[in-house]
Amino acid sequence: MALRDIKPTRSELINLKRKIRLSERGYKILKMKRDGLILEFFKVLTEAKDTRGDLLDKYAKAVETMALANTVEGAIGVKSAAFSVAEIPEIKLKSKNIMGVIVPEIESSKVKKSLVDRGYGVLGTSTVIDETATAFEELVEAIIESAEIETTMKRLLDEIESTKRRVNALEFKVIPELTEAQDFIKMRLDEMEREELFRLKKIKARSAA
Amino acid sequence: MPAITGGPGPYIYVCTRMRVRKAKLIQKDEYQRMLNMSLPEITRIIGETAYKQEIDELATSFKGIDLIEVALSWNLAKEYQKILEITPGTLKQFTRSYLRRWDIQNVLTILRGKTQGIKHGKIKEILIPAGSLGRAMLDKLIAEDSVDRIIEALRGERMYPVLAAKIGEAKEIGSFSKMENELYRQFYADVIAEAKSGIKGGELYLSFIRLDIDVMNIKTLFRLRADTFEEDPHEMFIAGGVLTVNDFVRLNVIKDHGEFIDALRMKVKQKTLVSFLDELKEKKKVHDIEMSLTRVQLDQMERMSKLHPFSVHPILVYLEKKKYEVFNLRALARGKESKLASERISEHLVM
Repeated sequence: MALRDIKPTRSELINLKRKIRLSERGYKILKMKRDGLILEFFKVLTEAKDTRGDLLDKYAKAVETMALANTVEGAIGVKSAAFSVAEIPEIKLKSKNIMGVIVPEIESSKVKKSLVDRGYGVLGTSTVIDETATAFEELVEAIIESAEIETTMKRLLDEIESTKRRVNALEFKVIPELTEAQDFIKMRLDEMEREELFRLKKIKARSAA
Repeated sequence: MPAITGGPGPYIYVCTRMRVRKAKLIQKDEYQRMLNMSLPEITRIIGETAYKQEIDELATSFKGIDLIEVALSWNLAKEYQKILEITPGTLKQFTRSYLRRWDIQNVLTILRGKTQGIKHGKIKEILIPAGSLGRAMLDKLIAEDSVDRIIEALRGERMYPVLAAKIGEAKEIGSFSKMENELYRQFYADVIAEAKSGIKGGELYLSFIRLDIDVMNIKTLFRLRADTFEEDPHEMFIAGGVLTVNDFVRLNVIKDHGEFIDALRMKVKQKTLVSFLDELKEKKKVHDIEMSLTRVQLDQMERMSKLHPFSVHPILVYLEKKKYEVFNLRALARGKESKLASERISEHLVM
């Protein structure tokens, strides 16, 4: 805000004082929001580390059981069993609000299936197919859980960044500029008052003479 | 080669040939050596043995481990067809009926592949024409437009009545699992009926089938229990063995492992199965139990083949052992490709 553009009037001073009060209030609230978001982020971060670790373990287990299934049944047997899976898991996407940030809530169904719901007959397959199917069902569930938590984390991070920028803008630019303008106007008004006083004295002195 | 007709002479000839072929199969010490080899060495050995012809034929269409696996499967199918050609009289009939289980596997693969919209070539890759449905018939089935037309093309085959009866329900629930279970149940019912029909040698064939059924039912029980399956398991029970359907249902709901083993032991008469169950007091992984049951079954088949050297037993023993040779070579190749430890691969070999 260039000082030469400011009109040094009382009404302008009153406006500026109002703006400063509003900016300081907004600054306090945004700081609280930023701190609250950071706390929520650290909660989610702990959960995300656990789910990511769990996901990696389940992936390793799924890869291992698939290798065993290929070893025992051959790729032919595994592919033949895989053809039998017809039902696709259902995903329901909802949203929830964490301190004003909209984050996803994912509900899945028909991921984990029982022995008879997988589509292959028990009498024509072996248990290694069951183990592989179970391992991949657990992996899919872990992926869904991870997707929810990691998306939440990302959105919280984005919001924290945005709030931090606004807090910094208020703290280092907006409020100081407004304060500077306020001081300038006060100084000019005082100066104008002194000039007016001196002029009046002079006029009085001349009329007395 | 002159046609082999019935009578004791041809039976002795065929059974002797089966024993010779069985002796040429890969032995345990060779598998132990192969476990310590690298994948290229194993594939080289496979390529230099009885599987060379199939590997050469398929080398333009497949490569790597897929080539090995498909070549092994083709060789198995060819060998089975050769055995059917040279087997005489009632032995041929029993052998053919036993190999019909491969037809079930192939037809189900085609039905599922069609339902999922899988390309014809991809479906064809995973078929093993080791049953009564030859390659030409399987190609014809794959070329049909719909599941209904595939089933219609099988009119006259043994499995047609079950397919026609169950396809409606399968389409409704979106799964062929019930139909698959029913196909295998009907397969065993047909095989038992054939064995009991008064054909010469039927009693011996029946003893093999009963052993097979008992082993299947026990494997199924362990699998259902591992899944904590609490619904009605009737559909997964195969009649004709030592267990009745009520035994099967009752055994499935026993919660305690020790109690389950004791109850099963009371029902099973077969000595080798009883001693096997004695070792299961301590809980083991279901897959280990399955593998052990398979080995027990093969050992018992070997004993039956020695007790009845000129019957269907030597043929069935050879068919099973040839199947497991292919199984083992495939397991070695896939296991090495997946970088599994040799000890891990060894656990899954049937030696």
